[in-house]
Amino acid sequence: MSSIRLSRRAMIRGAGSIAIALPWLEIMETPKAVAQAASAAKRYLQVYTPGGCQQLPINGSQRYWPSGTETAPVLSPILGPLLPVASKLLTIRGLEMKCANSGEAPPHQTGSVGLFSGATWDGGATFSRLASIDQVIAGRISTGKKKKSLQLGIRWGTGQFNGAVSTGNTMSFEDGPGTAPIPPSIDPVAIYSDLFGTLTPSVTPTMGQPDPSIARKKSILDFTDKKFVSLGAKLGPSDKAKLDQHLEKIREIEKSLDVMVTASATCHAPTKVDTSKYDPTAGLYAEMDNAALDNGTDGMIPTVGKYMTDMMVMALACDITAVGHLQWSDSECQHSLPYLNLLQHHHYYQHENGYAPAEIEQIGMWYSQQHLYLLQQMMSVDMGGHSLLDESLVFFGSEIGWPESHSQDNIPIMLAGGAGIRTGRHLDFRKNKANDSDPGIPHNNLLVSILNLFGDARTSYQEPGKSLCNDPISLT
Amino acid sequence: MRRLSRFEYTNTMRDLVGDTTSPGNDLAAEDLGNGFSNDADTQTVSSLLAGQYVDVAAGIATRAMAPGGAISKLNACATSVPANTAAETDCFNAVIPPLATGAYRRPLAAGEAEELLALFQTLRNNGSDFASSLTGVVQALLLTPDFLYRPEFGVPVPGQANLLRPTGYEMATRLSYLYFGSMPDAELAAAAARGELDTADGVLARATAMVNDPMGRAATNVGFFFDNLLPIARVGFLSRDAATFPTYSTKIGLLMRQETQAFVKGVIFQENGTLDNIYTAPYTYVNDELAAFYGIAGVTGSEFRQVPLPDTTKRLGLLTQGAVLMGPIATNVTSPVARGGFLTHKLLCQEIPKPSAAILAMIKPPDPYSAPTARERFALHSKDPGCAGCHQLMDPAGLALENFDAVGMWRDQENGVTIDASGTLAVLGAPFNGPVELAQRTNAAMESKTCFSKQWMNFAYGRTLNAADKCTQEAVQSKFTEAGSNVKALLTALAQSDAFLYLNAVKE
Repeated sequence: MSSIRLSRRAMIRGAGSIAIALPWLEIMETPKAVAQAASAAKRYLQVYTPGGCQQLPINGSQRYWPSGTETAPVLSPILGPLLPVASKLLTIRGLEMKCANSGEAPPHQTGSVGLFSGATWDGGATFSRLASIDQVIAGRISTGKKKKSLQLGIRWGTGQFNGAVSTGNTMSFEDGPGTAPIPPSIDPVAIYSDLFGTLTPSVTPTMGQPDPSIARKKSILDFTDKKFVSLGAKLGPSDKAKLDQHLEKIREIEKSLDVMVTASATCHAPTKVDTSKYDPTAGLYAEMDNAALDNGTDGMIPTVGKYMTDMMVMALACDITAVGHLQWSDSECQHSLPYLNLLQHHHYYQHENGYAPAEIEQIGMWYSQQHLYLLQQMMSVDMGGHSLLDESLVFFGSEIGWPESHSQDNIPIMLAGGAGIRTGRHLDFRKNKANDSDPGIPHNNLLVSILNLFGDARTSYQEPGKSLCNDPISLT
Repeated sequence: MRRLSRFEYTNTMRDLVGDTTSPGNDLAAEDLGNGFSNDADTQTVSSLLAGQYVDVAAGIATRAMAPGGAISKLNACATSVPANTAAETDCFNAVIPPLATGAYRRPLAAGEAEELLALFQTLRNNGSDFASSLTGVVQALLLTPDFLYRPEFGVPVPGQANLLRPTGYEMATRLSYLYFGSMPDAELAAAAARGELDTADGVLARATAMVNDPMGRAATNVGFFFDNLLPIARVGFLSRDAATFPTYSTKIGLLMRQETQAFVKGVIFQENGTLDNIYTAPYTYVNDELAAFYGIAGVTGSEFRQVPLPDTTKRLGLLTQGAVLMGPIATNVTSPVARGGFLTHKLLCQEIPKPSAAILAMIKPPDPYSAPTARERFALHSKDPGCAGCHQLMDPAGLALENFDAVGMWRDQENGVTIDASGTLAVLGAPFNGPVELAQRTNAAMESKTCFSKQWMNFAYGRTLNAADKCTQEAVQSKFTEAGSNVKALLTALAQSDAFLYLNAVKE
């Protein structure tokens, strides 16, 4: 039934020649005196977008990578939307995700596992043999918070895994025995209620009296705790280890009940958004009798994405947590993009039916706009003379470099923030700057540098026996 | 030790407290593991899931306590306001211990009723009223590891040193989750209490009865198995270009999933029940709307019913059903790799490595507009030795299905060129031409039978079988073969293996 139709991108292919170099606007540069030079970053947020970026210049003009010099970079069209916050960015070219590129297993999966962990998925049952850096950082800066870390996923769990946790969609791994994968929360209604439903009003109801609902919850969890301990004592070591892993999470909840988050000028619940047309489980397994047709979910992605971003920013501003993971879809990315008038799914444009550079560029620019929104929201929160962004480090990355081949040299990575890094720059670690495909240095070097920013002094971050991490990168 | 999967959690809540809101769907995504999301070796608990258990249990407990809910049905006192402390305790004793027995799937041990009463009193003293204190106890029950997990301690088998079999209640739990995906019902628990599940013969008798359950609970569980084995669960979410496929809508996709569900259940429970029939039945199940889409005349009404396939030179059995053809394809253009990969991986258990990053870095996928037919677009897969090594093991199966377009409709040509659907696949032996011969060859291959029984074992035992399970696999497979590949016989055989009848002597 299908017929050969004129490929839309055939018409757009020549578009590269009209690319406009976006000059560095001086007005955007923050005067050095105002820039906050906190010695160590206080908050960490990692942002994932799927599918890599347009690596090569088209008709001689860069589409993704900045041109210009290190300290006077010129953003290319895909990153163009970020111009208003360019002074807060540190873009980095020439990072190869070598842990994933080792050729043992398929790249979407190895890339998802490796991006924030630096570990190699070998195709086996263990996803990652290293904790992801967000979890290592959470152990340093986020213990004692209401939540140790927060993982939010927008239109997550698409594709062949039908919403099951898999190496193709999970990117955070616990810092503990087993380095268990951490799935994201995906339901905006439940997330709102979890994060802000119990935001304590500034006046407590009865002075000196404990909140009865908290006391009640504690009694129930205390009972549960004892049942885990007594059953665990009767089991063999491997079954007991399972219960212990579960019990540890129950104890986290018990502890978090003592932590009060109070509304203030800085911390307030985000405006509620109607997401009733968005089914977070669209495409996931559902039983026959309640299988719902997905009418509006994909079209709601921009609305829900902003809402999730708002909630993430406020979770950081309210100090509910100091560590976040914000994930746009997953490496399968099998949702359509009606808001861009792209009705096939993202992976389709990457390579499933041939590479579609114009569409990939359009999608990349859209993600830049969403990242701009996130960074501007963080800049708008006053944490006492400086913004939330000024005391944070935001790590933005993708699981592959080059959509067409899925290769993982030159993965798109950029940092943003104020604490500990010198921004408004573009770093390029390719050895041969004339070669667009020069892979550069392993990205594990960046991971360890980020850990260093949070006071973790180790000099390499990699699995034992690997040589992927030889030299932390200077970010200042 | 297994933990209830989301599917099992939902079913168990329905049977324990009459909750029909599918609460398991509110729990965090589970690890894909063995493909059925119940692989005990890969299950972990995240902070997210632990928190969700607490919230979901609170909702279930509240609904169960509401007037007309399961608790008030146990005893009307639960929705009353007892006159004094003694009356409250009486009501507690009438309601909670029976519920706990169901939740723990065994009689309560000494002290367990008392610890629940102590929790009730604590809640009561902390300012919760009678009803909400009871609700809190119900919530707590649903958070215990005794409920969420399936611990097994076993009892010694007389005369067999170091050998343990599950206790009667543990065996009832094994049987019930295997066949119904849920907790034991009162009848099964009573059989356990009478010692009827203490022998292999007793287990076999009960297994046979459960497979033939008059209430259709085994069929529901079989449906879940196929929803996960086949790529059909997502078909209702696949949209297609309306200009290219004007008669298709996601509603049709949803109906196609129901077609395949009705088909496998019909073959197994109403027809002769063989795997051969699943692969080569000359009939399918449709309703009026789906029949109209397929072009099958004479079907009225929205219920699904069996109809003969109008042209068995084009369609035959499971592999030629819309949902199975559509499921692997996420776009408007068919992919022989996706279809062939599904068939060889899930139905023939061929382990073909996915292309590594190093290989992908060297290749460029074909442009869908570069040639009129899929065979030409994917020609490099057979010409380039680097590709062919793996692709010759799966592409031919997909190419044989190329007569079906991206919505599962028949076509003789693609872009004006006649489709060549011939090929060979080492695992299938003799060459085939077209979908019907592919279905027949697949059915004839021993690998399709051993793979089917292996997938059932993975699902039934909540594991990923490995080389050490060879004996179990052979024991189950030989019973399946003896029974002429009858699926109900296979299901019964699952409860006769040593792996099912005994515990490992060493505590895991």
